[in-house]
Amino acid sequence: MSMNRIVAWMLLLFMMEGGLVPWLIPEGFGDRIIPHFIFVIVMYSALYGNRHQALMLGAGFGLLQDIVYYGHLIGAHAFIMGLIGYFAGVLLERKRPTVMMALTMIGFGCILYDTTLFYLYKVFRITDAAYAWALLNHILPSLFLQLAFALAVYIPARRIFESRSKTAPEGEEE
Amino acid sequence: MIGLLNLMRNKRVFMLMIGLICFIAIIGFSLSDRKNLTWPEMFLKDTTGFVQQWFYKPAGYIAGFFEDLRELRDVYEENEQLRLTAAAYARDKVKYNWVEKENERLQRELNFTEQQKQMYDYNYLIAQVISVSNDANNRTMVINLGSKNGVKPDMAVTTVDGLIGIVSSVTPFTAAVTPITELNEASPTFGSIAATIEGRETESFGILSSYNKETGRLVMTKIAETDKMAIGDTVITSGLGNTYPRGLRVGTVETKQVGDFGLTYTATVKLFASFDHLTEVFVVQPPETEEQAQ
Repeated sequence: MSMNRIVAWMLLLFMMEGGLVPWLIPEGFGDRIIPHFIFVIVMYSALYGNRHQALMLGAGFGLLQDIVYYGHLIGAHAFIMGLIGYFAGVLLERKRPTVMMALTMIGFGCILYDTTLFYLYKVFRITDAAYAWALLNHILPSLFLQLAFALAVYIPARRIFESRSKTAPEGEEE
Repeated sequence: MIGLLNLMRNKRVFMLMIGLICFIAIIGFSLSDRKNLTWPEMFLKDTTGFVQQWFYKPAGYIAGFFEDLRELRDVYEENEQLRLTAAAYARDKVKYNWVEKENERLQRELNFTEQQKQMYDYNYLIAQVISVSNDANNRTMVINLGSKNGVKPDMAVTTVDGLIGIVSSVTPFTAAVTPITELNEASPTFGSIAATIEGRETESFGILSSYNKETGRLVMTKIAETDKMAIGDTVITSGLGNTYPRGLRVGTVETKQVGDFGLTYTATVKLFASFDHLTEVFVVQPPETEEQAQ
């Protein structure tokens, strides 16, 4: 599948994430279960594609999210998503991980992503909550949503990114 | 070969450092109290907003339909209550008309300027939420009215229940609303709101300074010692300072205790509005004054 198609699908997912998913989350959990579906896809692209692709997708879609939902600062999502995608790629790019391995990596990635975001907001004094509270309040509950989504899209995501990295020449390309 | 590998590794570290510095610069730049966006930002926001409204609204209608089915049983009770309220409203309306006439006459006699007379003629623009941010510390909502419809930064946004937030930035066709749950004294991007108590507007005063995320309550500070604020009172915005409109319902006083320095009181306020599954919101548009128009 061409890069354009992947980006188009991810754009659609981005729209759904902001517009549709809030309605699927039960009332009262709106600020506790928070979707990070784009991040899950970026992780898949790191695990089954290559690290540069993950870096580009992460930074691009992170920046899109930063701008569209600009409230306090721009650049947080772009930086963290790109960086985590890239390092996940560095770790596991050539290993072709199994389902469990992929889900574990995505789970840890999500926790790392939320934690870094939390501390970034804490450094700039946007939030004054304690980390332990944030962990129980939204990081762990939303982790389950992310894992469920990761499991649901495992087969198509793996097929898309693997077929792409097979047809594309090995190694350095954007 | 080893030298080449070393160079590569160094280059990677070098790129990482450059990236880090770049992003810190961007974050620092965007963190300031910035109300005007650049055109690429506006273009991106408008385009996504345009597409996203096709998702959010239909989803809301479908969810609303099932909710209606579930609440069918409560309709009779609700009807009863509404009838009572309507009767009370009819009584109050007569009284209100008298008071308004009287007020107008007095304003005329006291030679109020046109601006003073129209100061509190708020216009409520109805807007649809089109998307909600997926970031726990930045629950910005996007609504489908923008600067083309007369929305400006710092306008208050309410639902039928009560105040939910402040417009933080606008593009031609959309506006970003920072919810009141992001209120924080220390934050460089969202200030405080002056508040008072319904029924004692001239006697009570407090400042809604921050939102405690852990308890889910607003914190109202700087309440005078002599203030007769009681638990269960309705908190409304006071409009002092003229940034935010007056008379918007916020919540009820839940607790009241002596503040940090013992000179003033602080109270916790439970919000009326809920932030889940929001659809229709109202942007409160203050009347256009001459100095704002310039």
